[in-house]
Amino acid sequence: MKQSALLVHPFGARYAAALPAADSARREARETLALEGLPGPKREEWRFTPLRGLAKIPFIPAASAEDIDVRDIPADVPRFAGAVRVVLVNGVYRADLSDKVSEAGLAIMEAKTPDHDVHAPLAVLNAAYMSGGVTIAARGVVAKPVHIVSIGAAGAEPAAFHPRFAVAVAPAAKLTVLETHHGLPGQPYFSNPVTTISVGTAGVLRRYVLVREDSEAFHLATTVADVAADAKFDAFHLGLGGALVRQEINVDFVGEGAAVRLNGAYALTGRAHHDFTTFMNHDMPNCTSSQVFKGVVDGESRGVYQGRLLVARHAQKTDGQQLHKALFLSRGPQIDCKPELEIYADDVKCAHGATTGEMDPDHLFYLAARGIDPQAARLLLVQGFLADALENVDDAAVHDILSAEISGWLMRKASA
Amino acid sequence: MALLEIKNLHVSVGGKKILNGISLALNAGEVHAIMGPNGTGKSTLSNVIAGRDGYEVTEGQVLLDGRDVLAMAADERARAGVFLAFQYPVEIPGVTTSAFLKTAINAKRRAEGKPEIDAMEFLKLVKAKQKILGMPDDMIKRALNVGFSGGEKKRAEVLQMTLLEPRVAILDETDSGLDIDALKIVSEGVNTLRSPERAFLIITHYQRLLNYIVPDHVHVLVGGKVVASGGKELAEQLEAEGYARYLSAA
Repeated sequence: MKQSALLVHPFGARYAAALPAADSARREARETLALEGLPGPKREEWRFTPLRGLAKIPFIPAASAEDIDVRDIPADVPRFAGAVRVVLVNGVYRADLSDKVSEAGLAIMEAKTPDHDVHAPLAVLNAAYMSGGVTIAARGVVAKPVHIVSIGAAGAEPAAFHPRFAVAVAPAAKLTVLETHHGLPGQPYFSNPVTTISVGTAGVLRRYVLVREDSEAFHLATTVADVAADAKFDAFHLGLGGALVRQEINVDFVGEGAAVRLNGAYALTGRAHHDFTTFMNHDMPNCTSSQVFKGVVDGESRGVYQGRLLVARHAQKTDGQQLHKALFLSRGPQIDCKPELEIYADDVKCAHGATTGEMDPDHLFYLAARGIDPQAARLLLVQGFLADALENVDDAAVHDILSAEISGWLMRKASA
Repeated sequence: MALLEIKNLHVSVGGKKILNGISLALNAGEVHAIMGPNGTGKSTLSNVIAGRDGYEVTEGQVLLDGRDVLAMAADERARAGVFLAFQYPVEIPGVTTSAFLKTAINAKRRAEGKPEIDAMEFLKLVKAKQKILGMPDDMIKRALNVGFSGGEKKRAEVLQMTLLEPRVAILDETDSGLDIDALKIVSEGVNTLRSPERAFLIITHYQRLLNYIVPDHVHVLVGGKVVASGGKELAEQLEAEGYARYLSAA
């Protein structure tokens, strides 16, 4: 039954045949994929994000397409001044477009094999066909941030790629990473990145992710992070483009006293679909996690937030907070918000909140009473709603980059 | 012709009559105060003139320089020169005071056929006005009214009024929530705006504000009607005697 379903999904034998013979890790993943297929709507975590559309597209591996020739970084990719830039095209590291690394404590290497076993279904797909990636290791306080630029492009046929990123922050080390995902218009492409993160004892990782893929593109990202004792993992994710985008982030607390912030925002028009799915696995006492996600939805778009928080019986003094806020710009969009708190410890502070609504008429009247016309007033309020989400971005340069991205989104929307 | 003319204004909210035929004429250069007990229609009057939704005008007219104000959208009224200083200014997270002020100033300038304000000129102008109102420079970097104290919010309203230079300014209970020092600063801000081209409609429950902003005319609003009008001495009389006399008459 599942075997026959697999034949129609785009990552079966035809897809594999275009690639060189697999090593054992990839072979094993392909066997699992053959058995389990892509997750369907009956899988609870995928209920709100159907992959039917994706499965209909006859993707080829981007690596096997001979008509893709990306020689430059697109002009609209933000410049992160002072950062070490690492560029990947269709998931493959491009030394010719990347900066040389000469920063003390920082090592960046090309990744060739899927080193870590990640069990999420899209991570299995990634392991089966991993096309490349980078491994970043930080020791000590790394002064220069790293900017990973991922560019997706298809040739005459739709193309898929499955990169691996590994970020390892040594004990007491500090690192800032900005990851921006872009693409070229044309046939649809599918970016399926997997990121494994480990933050060592008392280490600090700030991770900022911008997903501004081409409007026809698919982007299904899986991140797994291990956070050790007294470490800090501070992440912000901005979703501004792509036909179907999912950012799944799973955090394991592996030491006491760790603090994690997962924040994000998304802005959707047309038929865009964006999904934030998070899992906070509080398996250690005295850890804190906080999540604030905000979305603006227009057209017939769909926003999803699923936040699962698991507090083990021994994880006393856990502080886990999550909040999702959505702003409707019209009556067409849909929001699915599912907080899931599973708490087995008895001395914890956990809460979740969710609001969805249209623009506040009192706000609109206040702006009107100052002579601002309704269109400009709405623009100001949407910008404000998203800017407020950026308050959680501590890095000033990244804040400016993301703020400019939001302005760009608003301008594209206004001119659409 | 009066600058702002309210003629036999009848207003209902949700089918309930709130204003029962108000007529007032504000000439340029004049300050009018409207006093009255709670729930008598004072805020309804200011909201109707400014164009807030949810009010049904069943009869009457409001004219600004002879133009039909009630036919205009709220933002058009503001650009035509109507300014409402809110009793409860809203907090808008994420929108900086500076972005808001610039948008409002430019909306007015565009309506007047002027070019947008230059960034440097804007900062210089705002700084100068903030100084007069005793506001810190960095206040305009903060989100609009978010976390402002009651006094800061009212000062921000007066700052907006100063920058937008309206023809008619309506102050809705601007004195509520102000301590005496803030009241003085806000009043001075208003007084510096008094000019032969401008009129003020000051809505207040107490006479206190009128010690600092001295009105030319005082009207008593009870039961949605003006039941008495007079000079500034009427306010003093109300302070001493209360509204009881008018309440029993209404």
